[in-house]
Amino acid sequence: MRLPPGPCAGGTFIQKTDGPPVRSAQQRNRAVDILIQQILNGLSIASVITLIAVGVTLIFGLTGIINFAHGEFLMIGSIVTWLAVQAGLSFYLALVLAILAVGVMGFVLERGLFRFTLTRPTNGFIVSLGLIVVLQHIVIFFYDPNQKSIPRPLTGIWDVAGVRIASVRVMVILVTIAVVALTFVMVTRSRYGRALRAAVDDRDTAALMGIPVRRYITGVFVLGSALAGLGGALLIALFPITPFTGGTMVMKGFAVALIGGLGNLTGAVVAGLILGIVEGFSAGYGFSAWTDAYSFALMILVLLFRPNGLFGGTSGPKMA
Amino acid sequence: MNAILEISGLKKQFGGVTALSGVDLSIEEGEILGIVGPNGSGKTTLFNVITGVYKPTEGHVTWRGRDITSLAAHEVSGAGIGYTFQQAMAFPGLSVLENVQIACEHARKTSRPYPWTTPAALLDFVGLTALANERAGVLPFGNLRLLGIALALATRPSLILLDEPAAGLNDRETATLVGLVKQFPGHGISVCVIDHDMKLMQMLCKRLVVLDFGSKIADGPTQAVLSDPKVLEVYLGGAL
Amino acid sequence: MNTPLSSLRSLAPALVVLAILAFVPAIGASNRMLSLAISAGINIVALYGLSVLFGQTGILSMGHAALVGVGAYAAALLARDTGIGFWLALPIGGIAAAAFAAVIGVPSLRVSGHHFVIMTFAFGQLLTIVLTNGGDFTGAATGLDLQLPVGFFGMRADDLVPYYFVVLAFVTLSAIASWAIINSPYGRTLRAIRENEKLAASLGINVGRHKIGAFVVSGVFAGVSGVLLAYFLRHISPSQFASFPSIYLALMVMIGGARLLLGPIAGGILVSFLPEVLNLDPVQSRILYGVCLIAVILLLPNGLIAGLADGWQRLFGASRKQAPSPAAGGKHASEAGR
Repeated sequence: MRLPPGPCAGGTFIQKTDGPPVRSAQQRNRAVDILIQQILNGLSIASVITLIAVGVTLIFGLTGIINFAHGEFLMIGSIVTWLAVQAGLSFYLALVLAILAVGVMGFVLERGLFRFTLTRPTNGFIVSLGLIVVLQHIVIFFYDPNQKSIPRPLTGIWDVAGVRIASVRVMVILVTIAVVALTFVMVTRSRYGRALRAAVDDRDTAALMGIPVRRYITGVFVLGSALAGLGGALLIALFPITPFTGGTMVMKGFAVALIGGLGNLTGAVVAGLILGIVEGFSAGYGFSAWTDAYSFALMILVLLFRPNGLFGGTSGPKMA
Repeated sequence: MNAILEISGLKKQFGGVTALSGVDLSIEEGEILGIVGPNGSGKTTLFNVITGVYKPTEGHVTWRGRDITSLAAHEVSGAGIGYTFQQAMAFPGLSVLENVQIACEHARKTSRPYPWTTPAALLDFVGLTALANERAGVLPFGNLRLLGIALALATRPSLILLDEPAAGLNDRETATLVGLVKQFPGHGISVCVIDHDMKLMQMLCKRLVVLDFGSKIADGPTQAVLSDPKVLEVYLGGAL
Repeated sequence: MNTPLSSLRSLAPALVVLAILAFVPAIGASNRMLSLAISAGINIVALYGLSVLFGQTGILSMGHAALVGVGAYAAALLARDTGIGFWLALPIGGIAAAAFAAVIGVPSLRVSGHHFVIMTFAFGQLLTIVLTNGGDFTGAATGLDLQLPVGFFGMRADDLVPYYFVVLAFVTLSAIASWAIINSPYGRTLRAIRENEKLAASLGINVGRHKIGAFVVSGVFAGVSGVLLAYFLRHISPSQFASFPSIYLALMVMIGGARLLLGPIAGGILVSFLPEVLNLDPVQSRILYGVCLIAVILLLPNGLIAGLADGWQRLFGASRKQAPSPAAGGKHASEAGR
């Protein structure tokens, strides 16, 4: 198989006069190594995107609100992490702070703003647009629009069967898996999760049955925000961020949520996995310039044939 | 008397729920047919399938010899079937006059003489002329129902389907409604009504169809159907 | 009542405002003022398109800036590769953007409301990516320069003052076009779709086709705006037409009032000039925009102008008062220009 110019450029091919070119075993391994590396890269970014996707899908499922400002929640999580690390705290402490800070911010925003849009979720969406602008520029106002980064919390590079893997990426993936699994178990197994799913299915009836729907709405907002805060901390551990990073990430987060089916938790997770692998492959084969486009193109394609996402989403709470 | 609308073997399933399980039914030209049945018996689903809101799982709808089973909602309207909704529907932010104007602007062309071709004529017929400039969204419920009838009439239908037109109306309003609907056959509009109000059905309809759990359990002259023991059993507590 | 006279009366306030604006250069406005005014005017043309889409049909699109971008890039490419200049580029840009809108519209409208908004956002981002990766053809991330001059019956028209009048003329055309649409049966059909899609379909309205049509119409306005922008800035790049500029356009149309004929003018002028008046730097002004958008949507869902007019009515009383509406303040949100 012939590779286009990319990470493998510079290797030589042993060519036969007929048939496809055959590479030496050494080059084949290098190609596979790089592919594995890139897939891991893709998965680590996809982890962060999945955290966003889970947050927005949960919020949408219960309230019908499309919170585009979720990307800015992520960005604030990164900023808090950056500030804490700059102040001398360890990365892990900074991560906890980020989760708490953004969780609190989510609480305040839900009680103070989004609460008023519950009867008209479109207004909630527009409010979130305003929030994007405000949050981004508040950060710029207090700091600056430039990149911010922190020293990598894990600098080890593991050598697994000849493939060099950055341990920090693995950490990001593992933490995400743990947290998402926890969320998943909570939503599907616990009493609260059951009540939450009942409320998503039929808000009015759930309320009539004594489920404190308003409190669950606040809870879901806080949970989603905390996840975004975590995502932000993990993101800045991988790459430098700017105040505008939230914008791209949120679009991909929504693309993933939509591909899986808006409101469908499993869908978001599976779609995140798919996107991670696809983006990894693309970067591995040298199409990195188009990496950003995949989430959108995939989303548009999926929605064309399955308007409710791959796993079927909810259409938001039934209004009256 | 010939059938203008024929329904054969109509089945409609939503996931695991069977709303209609093989219904055969026909509407004769010039009649006012009534469809009754307990809640959940499939009456509104039947209307929704006829008017193209839903596609049936199985079965056919034939309108004047033409198979309209797969037509979209706006095409069904263009074919000559008008419809009023169970929840009184209007364009709430627009004035009553604008509501009717819109309906008239999209009416199909018919060659037969039709008495209600202008907004003024329609508003006059249903008695809403005085409210022409009011926003439809603030109309009291009874007037909203009248507006709905005006809108359906504006499309110059040959068949009009009324889904619980008297729900929420008091006796006086119901009587007004009956007076209007009784005039339709005389202008070439056949009628099919769904409702729960048996007195209303007795006043309006010569023929009655009863649905229960998605199947037809009775079909015949109104009095005969209402004395049918099967029907009485389904309606526990009777409705006469 | 839609008598021809009252319809004409609804156009009057907009024409008066535009006539007043024609005198701005005469009162010695500075170059900065004129520049700002031209920017505002270019936005206003695009906003009229958005008001047809959102105000009349009720479709919220976050891809409007992308449509403006199509017009702008069409103009720049035409100038560079074919020598076709300003006046021909205008209709071509409008048609190109309209075609693009049709392409986005057909798949997007197959999905429901919230999915649709996200689709339009996604298309906007996709366009940016395609333009950035377009190599030499699209100028990639750096973008394209526009060298051709703008002529008008033999005179140069691209100095500030002449260009101000060019843009003002197009704003006026947009206002009149918008007024014509609003007061026509087509406008009524769009409003019907906005108010109650199911009912509209039952009356014979092909909702899908009309929605795509509204998208295409909004594209024409956006495309023209893009050409005006390209010839004003003389340099365009992909980031100017991404999703966030679409947010600003939405903000402007909502602040001004999406359903009013004066709405786009008010929104465009306010958002362009408020920072000047308050002497804010770009960062501060954007924070203000965001806060305003949130405040407007929560407190004055029909836009600032409608809210002000409503406040006026409440304070000074009107002889004929409608019952309060569930939407906001009892104003006839559907009648334009009152």
